[in-house]
Amino acid sequence: MTASHQSPADAPRTFDVRVLRQDGPGGASYWERHRVPYEHDMNVISVLQRIAAQSRSVEGDEVAPVAWECCCLEEVCGSCTMLVNGKVRQACTALVDRLLVDEPEGIELRPMGKFPVVRDLVVERQRMFRALEKVRAWIDVDGYYDAGPGPRQSPEDQEVAYPLSQCMSCGCCLEACPQYTKVELTRDPGESDADFQARQDQTYDSAFVGAHAISQAVLFNSHPTGTYNAGKRLDALTQEGGIQICGNAQNCVAVCPKEIPLTTSIAKAGRQTTWHQLKKWFDQ
Amino acid sequence: MTRNEFIIRRLHSLSGLVPVGAYMTVHLLTNASVLDSPATFQRNVNQIHSLGSVLWVVEWLFIFLPLLFHAVLGVVIIRGGLPNVSSYPLSGNVRYSLQRASGMVAFFFIMWHVFHMHGWFHFDGYLKSVAEPLGGAQFKPYNAASSAAQALRSGAVQVLYAIGVLSCVFHLANGIWTMGITWGVWVSPAAQRRANYASIVFGVAMSIVGLGALNGMSRVDVEKARQIEDQIYDSLKGSKTPEELERDQHKRDLHRTADAEHPTAEESPTADLVLPDTVPRR
Repeated sequence: MTASHQSPADAPRTFDVRVLRQDGPGGASYWERHRVPYEHDMNVISVLQRIAAQSRSVEGDEVAPVAWECCCLEEVCGSCTMLVNGKVRQACTALVDRLLVDEPEGIELRPMGKFPVVRDLVVERQRMFRALEKVRAWIDVDGYYDAGPGPRQSPEDQEVAYPLSQCMSCGCCLEACPQYTKVELTRDPGESDADFQARQDQTYDSAFVGAHAISQAVLFNSHPTGTYNAGKRLDALTQEGGIQICGNAQNCVAVCPKEIPLTTSIAKAGRQTTWHQLKKWFDQ
Repeated sequence: MTRNEFIIRRLHSLSGLVPVGAYMTVHLLTNASVLDSPATFQRNVNQIHSLGSVLWVVEWLFIFLPLLFHAVLGVVIIRGGLPNVSSYPLSGNVRYSLQRASGMVAFFFIMWHVFHMHGWFHFDGYLKSVAEPLGGAQFKPYNAASSAAQALRSGAVQVLYAIGVLSCVFHLANGIWTMGITWGVWVSPAAQRRANYASIVFGVAMSIVGLGALNGMSRVDVEKARQIEDQIYDSLKGSKTPEELERDQHKRDLHRTADAEHPTAEESPTADLVLPDTVPRR
């Protein structure tokens, strides 16, 4: 699809944006309505910039600017992921002209529901990165000695691996997954940073790792060098919160903005963990 | 529990196919043999009951316990998820929710069905004083078709059975498909699509078998079937010891609700209880 450079013939002069706001972690959320003057070729990021510039709700009250995150503005960093009209996607590629065709009433923005809200549309996605650590989503190349060039990867394998490498850790697959449920911890009074971090890591590790981490484990298991640590990744995937939590709803693959074959990765990881477990039982 | 989560979930997945799903397939096919004739069904039931005193061990070990394990863990799994069909109305997601809903329906249906037909336990005192007064234990293995037909006489019961059977069949057919992904049997989208077609064909076929069995049972001529069944029972009697005959009494339909004015023969179980003559002829 290409972006439409023509605004709808009946383009409105203004349109309303409903934002689910939250002033801080653990706080109560509330809806706020903003009226934004229509311009050609707006995306949700430029809408949020207008809202910040106005800092005024529809009722005319002066309000704090709505907080959001964005970075690359070309759907490769994942930081502006949020719920636009109830669907998880990147705000930068959510084009207003198209949104208004689908929903002429206006636009509804909500923070992702599976991660703790930091403020307004900004969420804390540490759990996602903790999961990548858990499954060793990297290749061990650092060492004291020059290990020489790595083994070669066939073009066929590269073609399988490349789509998986496009993951930008945006969290869409997790947001849409019915098996990935929100984990939000609050710091106990007097708990140190390190203690809280440790408790949080432990809690995250026992919850579902998610499709993105399973797919990354499959990616690095398929890599000629990464395969040396395949056993460790499969061990991680069979720990508490591992691949066994997947319920095969297959929402992940449907919502992935990079069209990564996540359910193929999940089935591959299913096969790898099956053999891995049998080997552990009968070979050791 | 949490340390062995992977193994436990895989056992849950496996137990759904073997033995629970395999048992259900055999069960529905056996029941559908009533469509041939009550005598065929009776002979199939006799085959199962030829296991005699070890039958209950087989039932508990290979049917009830795996079923309870699958059901209890299934509830744990359901509680761990948060269905979101309204936000993401995708076919896989709908099936995810239906798998959980059909599992719950199947669980309550099977618990009721086993009580309704079987009574849950075999102790004579319990069967007489608890299960039967509560409407349970209505299936009598040596009067298989006639007692099943009587148990399924009411239209409401038939509707509940149809809902229950279809839930079980959907749960198994969809479960086979998800199981193949879980274990890594079908991996690529194309393979998953082919497996999906195969499980749909299986599900439709088993629905026909299950509803056919239900329909066949409800159309059994009770009096005629009872005569045939009693004849088959009489032909078996020669090969049984008095103890076995005594033990088998709860497996026979001796109440004969259809002719309540006749005295029942429960008092002398080893005597020739039911001669074909005692069955009122039309």
